Amino acid sequence: MLAAIVIAVIKMLVLFAVLMLFVAYGTLAERKVSGHIQDRLGPLYCGPHGFLQPFADGLKLFFKEDIVAKESDKFLYFLAPMIAIVPAILAIGVIPFGESITLFGRKINLVMTDINVALLYLLAVSSFSVYTIVFGGWSANSKYPLLGGLRSAAQFISYELILGLSIMGVIMIVGSFSLVDIVHYQKGMWMVVYQPLAFIIYMVAATAELNRLPFDLPEAESELVGGYHTEYSSMKFAMFFLGEYANMVITSAVAVCLFLGGWYSPVPFLSWVPGPIWFVVKLVAVFFFLLWLRWTYPRFRYDQLMGFSWKYLLPLALINILATGGVMLFLQGGI
Amino acid sequence: MIGPLLKGLRVTFGHLLKPSVTVKYPYEKREVAERYRGRHILKLDEDGREKCCACGMCEEICPADAIKLYGKEDPEFKYSDVGKYAEYYVIDYARCIFCGLCVDSCPRGAIEMTQDYELTVPGPGRINLIKDKGWLLEKRGGE
Repeated sequence: MLAAIVIAVIKMLVLFAVLMLFVAYGTLAERKVSGHIQDRLGPLYCGPHGFLQPFADGLKLFFKEDIVAKESDKFLYFLAPMIAIVPAILAIGVIPFGESITLFGRKINLVMTDINVALLYLLAVSSFSVYTIVFGGWSANSKYPLLGGLRSAAQFISYELILGLSIMGVIMIVGSFSLVDIVHYQKGMWMVVYQPLAFIIYMVAATAELNRLPFDLPEAESELVGGYHTEYSSMKFAMFFLGEYANMVITSAVAVCLFLGGWYSPVPFLSWVPGPIWFVVKLVAVFFFLLWLRWTYPRFRYDQLMGFSWKYLLPLALINILATGGVMLFLQGGI
Repeated sequence: MIGPLLKGLRVTFGHLLKPSVTVKYPYEKREVAERYRGRHILKLDEDGREKCCACGMCEEICPADAIKLYGKEDPEFKYSDVGKYAEYYVIDYARCIFCGLCVDSCPRGAIEMTQDYELTVPGPGRINLIKDKGWLLEKRGGE
């Protein structure tokens, strides 16, 4: 009993530390990748090739003046940045990143908890992150955050649906909501081969959920200053930032689990490389793809965004589910 | 629909691999053109005397009104070979637009522009940007 608690605590600490490390270096990666895509260099002088930049940024934000908007709704104003990172921390509990290992004669699962409704849980906690944006937008009592919050609410309702529908095909094939089961199913072949359309829809919907370009209407710098976090400064602003990048990491991790074979190596002769390393490599690849998207496509107009969701993605997702069901029925030999 | 999207991704990835165009300025400096118009210099002749005869053409033509000078007689030809030299010669770099008209108008080739473009000065105000003759004169013999 005691050993189980100790193991759980250690796993929690390691996962949290790794998530924070990913978030810190996610911000650096964003700046470096955007720099190089624009033929610049990005952060360069803080440590070798700007390697210590995240810590310098953190220190700077920590010592900046903490401005509280005068006419704000104080409770929600303080609550919004507090809960910004909560969905990501809740979500990391169900993400498996390796096969069970045996240490000191004790079997350790490389996942915090393998609950049988992991995917439902993930969808539930990830939709929680809309509260951060809506609270932040509402409470500051200022026009730009309010517009950002409104846009975000509409965007979330549209794309949450698409996100849920896109992973239905995967669940139908595997027959389980557990992420561990889904990854085990992909030992021979990645799910993206069976469900390419679902993967594309998932990535589009996830990008929209993360409020990243080309779907970053809630924070659209050129129209809304900073969107929902316009009135925040110092560490409160940093919390929004942390939340955004933590959500990116989690979304990438879920994409890896659902479609890219989790911790399994893509080619058999490299299977001696430990699972968690493969997991991280794939995670970084998906993360990089999100950054790459950001610097390639311009922002959607608002009606285009909604139209794209309801007119194209929703029918596509439904067709994907129908086609998956039809093929499964056919393979089983008809009704 | 998918084709153009992939093309866009290819373009940005191509730029990711390209070498950057950044010049890490304080550590490495940009090469300037041979005839770059930087700060001025007042030339000396072979004997180390000033070429400037204080005719005032540069002051007259300067469109930014950045140059101020007045001459003084020099009967012993100590400072100049024509018996007159600029006792006071000042260029205000807060006004100067680096057009080079002073160089064109100088009848004796006494004023030239160099490739030196680092003219920032410490402290507030513009007083440090007003450069006098001591700073402008060409240095000779490790002076």
